[in-house]
Amino acid sequence: MGDLKTKKGIKKVLYGNHAVSYGVKVSRAQVISAYPITPQTQVVELLSEMVGKGELDATFVNVESEHSAMAVCIGASITGVRTFTATSAQGLLLMHELLHWAAGDRLPIVMAVINRAVAAPWSIWSDQNDSLSQRDTGWMKIYCESNQEVLDSVILAYKVSEKVFLPSMLVLDAFILSHTAEPVEVPAQEEVDEFLPPLELPHALTPEKPYAIGAVVMPDGPYMELRYKIQKAMEKAIPEIEKACNEFYELFGRKWEFVEEFMMDDADVVLITSGAVSSTVKYTVNEIRKREGKKIGVLRMRILRPFHFEKIRKILSGRKKVIVLDRNISFGLGGIFFNEIRSSLYSVSEKPILLGYIWGLGGRDITPKDVEGVIKDAEKREKDEDIIFWGLKKENINL
Amino acid sequence: MAFEWEELLQEEVLDPGILSCQGCGSTIAIRQVLKALGKNTIITVPACCWTIIDGPFPYHSLKIPFFHTAFETAAAAATGIRAGLNTRGYKDTNVLAWAGDGGTFDIGLQALSGVAESNEDILYICYDNEAYMNTGIQRSGATPYKAWTTTTPYESPNKRPKKNIVEIMRAHKIPYIATATVAFPLDLYKKVKKAKELKGTRFIHVLAPCPPGWRMDSELTIKVSRLAVDTKLFPLYEVEDGEKLTINYYPKEIPIEEYFKLQGRFRHLEEEDIKEIQEMINTYFEKLLEEHKRTHGTIDNIKRGVYK
Amino acid sequence: MAERIRYKNIDEIPDVALSTGTTRVLKTGSWRNVKPVIENKAAPCLKACPLGTKIPHYFYWIIEKDLEKAADVLLERNPFPAITGRVCPAFCQIGCNRKRFDERISIRELERYVGDYIIKRGYKIKELPSDTGKRIAVIGSGPAGMAVAYFLRRYGHSVTIFERESKPGGVLRYGIPSYRLPKDILDKEFEMLLNMGIKIETNKELGKDVYLDELRQKFDAVFIGIGAWVEKRMRMEGEENLLSGVHFLKDVNEGKETSKFKGKKVAVIGAGNVAMDVVRTLKRIGAEPCILYRRTEKEMPALEEEREKAKADGIPFHFLTLPIKAENRNGKILLTNQKMKLGEPDKSGRRRPIPIEGSEFQEEYDFVIKAIGEEADRKILPEEYLGEDGWPYADKKTGATKVEGVFAGGDFIQGPSTVVEAEAWAQRAARSIDRFLKGEDINVKEIPPRTVSFMLIRTEYFDKAPAIHPQELSVEERIKSFEEEVKTFSEEMALKEAKRCFSCGYCNSCGNCYVYCPDMSILWKDGKPVVDYDFCKGCGVCASECPRGIIQMVSEI
Repeated sequence: MGDLKTKKGIKKVLYGNHAVSYGVKVSRAQVISAYPITPQTQVVELLSEMVGKGELDATFVNVESEHSAMAVCIGASITGVRTFTATSAQGLLLMHELLHWAAGDRLPIVMAVINRAVAAPWSIWSDQNDSLSQRDTGWMKIYCESNQEVLDSVILAYKVSEKVFLPSMLVLDAFILSHTAEPVEVPAQEEVDEFLPPLELPHALTPEKPYAIGAVVMPDGPYMELRYKIQKAMEKAIPEIEKACNEFYELFGRKWEFVEEFMMDDADVVLITSGAVSSTVKYTVNEIRKREGKKIGVLRMRILRPFHFEKIRKILSGRKKVIVLDRNISFGLGGIFFNEIRSSLYSVSEKPILLGYIWGLGGRDITPKDVEGVIKDAEKREKDEDIIFWGLKKENINL
Repeated sequence: MAFEWEELLQEEVLDPGILSCQGCGSTIAIRQVLKALGKNTIITVPACCWTIIDGPFPYHSLKIPFFHTAFETAAAAATGIRAGLNTRGYKDTNVLAWAGDGGTFDIGLQALSGVAESNEDILYICYDNEAYMNTGIQRSGATPYKAWTTTTPYESPNKRPKKNIVEIMRAHKIPYIATATVAFPLDLYKKVKKAKELKGTRFIHVLAPCPPGWRMDSELTIKVSRLAVDTKLFPLYEVEDGEKLTINYYPKEIPIEEYFKLQGRFRHLEEEDIKEIQEMINTYFEKLLEEHKRTHGTIDNIKRGVYK
Repeated sequence: MAERIRYKNIDEIPDVALSTGTTRVLKTGSWRNVKPVIENKAAPCLKACPLGTKIPHYFYWIIEKDLEKAADVLLERNPFPAITGRVCPAFCQIGCNRKRFDERISIRELERYVGDYIIKRGYKIKELPSDTGKRIAVIGSGPAGMAVAYFLRRYGHSVTIFERESKPGGVLRYGIPSYRLPKDILDKEFEMLLNMGIKIETNKELGKDVYLDELRQKFDAVFIGIGAWVEKRMRMEGEENLLSGVHFLKDVNEGKETSKFKGKKVAVIGAGNVAMDVVRTLKRIGAEPCILYRRTEKEMPALEEEREKAKADGIPFHFLTLPIKAENRNGKILLTNQKMKLGEPDKSGRRRPIPIEGSEFQEEYDFVIKAIGEEADRKILPEEYLGEDGWPYADKKTGATKVEGVFAGGDFIQGPSTVVEAEAWAQRAARSIDRFLKGEDINVKEIPPRTVSFMLIRTEYFDKAPAIHPQELSVEERIKSFEEEVKTFSEEMALKEAKRCFSCGYCNSCGNCYVYCPDMSILWKDGKPVVDYDFCKGCGVCASECPRGIIQMVSEI
């Protein structure tokens, strides 16, 4: 991490969930609304406590559902204030309609999604399908690997959302991050204030602006043009993210890139990963490199939307083999990251062999052994393979 | 007699050119509501007729900020707006959730209940046209017993009595609940004025006749609204803190048949249906009278005669 | 003006669907196929009033407490409201829509209220037009003559009245007893009329002091309104022994000595309004009058109100009694009467009285007064003025006689009638004279205004309230003097009563149309509703909720 430029920050040992809360606190969210769901609850418990104690000058609105939580955020956001909510799995799915609404109204809402498997059947453990089923809602999406990244990403999310007027979804893994304590530096408020000025929403509704927002647009009206503008905003977000990350680094000394490249310089084989499991993958790759000297590298996908095609293409062009590890599945298609990576490589002249692995669904543990296993399995494969279920128990299933 | 509506002779808070059907009851209602609230108001409207009526992008009728929100979210969105405005220092700006019966009785009930139970500081007005009119007259929880809609055809009319939204709201013990309808614009105006001065969740149930949906001539809107009250079908009353009940006007007790016969949606009713419904109406009104008496010690203070 | 929004390029489109324009650009009036038309119509009272008095209109100003304006409206159609406000049979009240709701409006009392106000403040006719230079001679200063003079004056013509008696007024002065119409009211009312510039020459009798030919030469037009003063003949034996009712009333009204009737038994033959005036006057001068009438109470031609008052005064009515002979017995009159029974209805629709054979009986009276009706003096005009029936003729619609430039009307032409009908005739005649003087066709085709029936009244906008009735002297008080027996409304009473009026057909700016319009398309301009056809969708709510039938939906296809 290099020199810590921060002079005033405080180191704390924080759960991932509490890292979210602290991120929200230093970002000075003004209206927070949420509904409880495991494993998200700690996020809003701490926030309500902060508000209750007067540590955070915000309004905390208890609601009867995630749907209303998002509706409250939307209502508050449209008046031009900074809003926050957090949820998981079913709660996120219940919000789905309003995720489109928030993006359509160009509201810079930030939400933490504690990745959790989707029912039925019930499962509360890590799995990316909840957040990825919201892929096309117009939200920017950040997948975090560590609790420090979680906290920092909250601040960064507001920074970028409030530049391009699109909402951001911050994703952290259930339990693996949410309920795991790590030392985290909480930046000093005045430094965050320097980085993150108060929100100025150009289309905020206040009594002196008697306009309507969201009225029906006829087919010959600019519905399509408004959609075009959302796409343009996503495109604009790429340099804005880069700029924000650089600025953040300048101020706080931590560099968060669009993607993280690990031992990629000479890598022929690239493992593509996202979320907390990336640490396990990086650890194993490092071990194998030390042990066997294999030219293996890791590409951690940090930001899924906007999707940085150019960067991915540049990084992957000329590699021999690309292994995409998905803790999710689009039924009938395969891993979601896999398919996005594949589509980005379409125009690359020398295409690597592309392998798609599905693993860890419903919180199934992923260990260094699994990583090694995948790498060995991949070595045997000399042509593209879309869907390989890793860790599927086919016999001797004792419960 | 010269002008009888001094309070209502004010600048309109909405422009004409609205896309309501001929004789729309909800538009008559909103005129009075907005006159009572004034321009320092933000309105949020879920999916309902008013989604369309206010005008297509980039035009709109109301001279106040208008936030279109999702079907089930009127109460929650209003709560968010309230919180946002408070944060920004607009503490005296009224926040109005203006929703149809579908968005209130049915799909929006959960959010409304949550907001009411928390006593969030919003004014929620349901303009009730007793079915999903914007989508073409499908049955809602507000559809009257035995009424026709496109999903409760004449062969199989609505099987259940209309949901009693006021009783539901009463159970939340919110500071103010009132019923009103368009034939009594001053009553509506005064109730909104009263609600405006209160804090917490305030709920007004406005019966708003819909000529196409009720299968009647557009000119009958006011007449039918008045009959709804005078037949005791839709009594005008207020409930404070969920307890104190005041009947504002003593109906003329016109037989319900007079109300039914103006509307095609009731044309299939047989004599025994009408009798049954009349009894239901009588029973409920008796109950209201008892509650009024419990609050006031008498029913003699209920206004009779011409009421506005 | 609201304008449509145009974006020159995609960058001008806002990032969100932010509507900043007004729906005023959407002219929803194009959806309409019927349109509301706001137009005053005739109330039943207005239609029933021979003068067409704009009753709801001046009531509006009573309620507004602007009696100046009420007076202006009233005087437009009625020259002397203080008089008609007392003696008019009030045809207006008969068809009053309010009658079907609770009780009719006391229209006459309100007219009297404004009439008295006019007397109190003095006559002011707004904007009398400049003098036309035309001169009209009016013969007779009764209701017809005075009214025609008034209307002609309002047209800007000069008028000279020639009156037989020493004072103006005709039947108003010499026929109507002062307990019904006090002389000071009459004097004040006429004084004001004369102050308008109407000239009067009294003691000028037609055929004696002035001559028609001479007047025709001196004046541009002549109007004859000399009334009907000739008592009809009964064709009974000894008719010369009877006194004339009209002459009796004239004598009393002139203040002649009446002591000879005091304590005397007087029979009055007839049951019309004159007969009622005669018996009630007799009662007041101390006589003991009774009525002899050949039919029954039901067939009495007198107004119900007059009949009831006479009965209340304690005057006996002997019905189905026909005097057939009057003999003078030492200054007393022995009447032979025949008892009658009712047969089949006659032309008038009333059942014809038939003598009962052998039912004759005799009764002695101190005086017997005949009041069976009056008629015009048919000999006063030359042949060319007579109609086919031998009576003086004038056209009912125009008042024109057969001789160019000569007009006639009132009781003289139509026979004994009411003050208001004489005034109405005068109103029509004045218009004809004006048109004649301008060289225009005097025949005007009139489209009768649409009447607002009870069906069009939205009674839900009115509270039931009993009619206000004027204070009256008690019977005991009134039969002792000629003091006016009915009192004028107080302001409070007038306001209360005027507020009861439905104002049928007259927009009183109640505002229902404005308040109930779902499209903000009834604009409120200078206190009046105006339809904004740009946005009105033609729903008809305004027409449906107009309490008084002023708004009509008219097809536009």
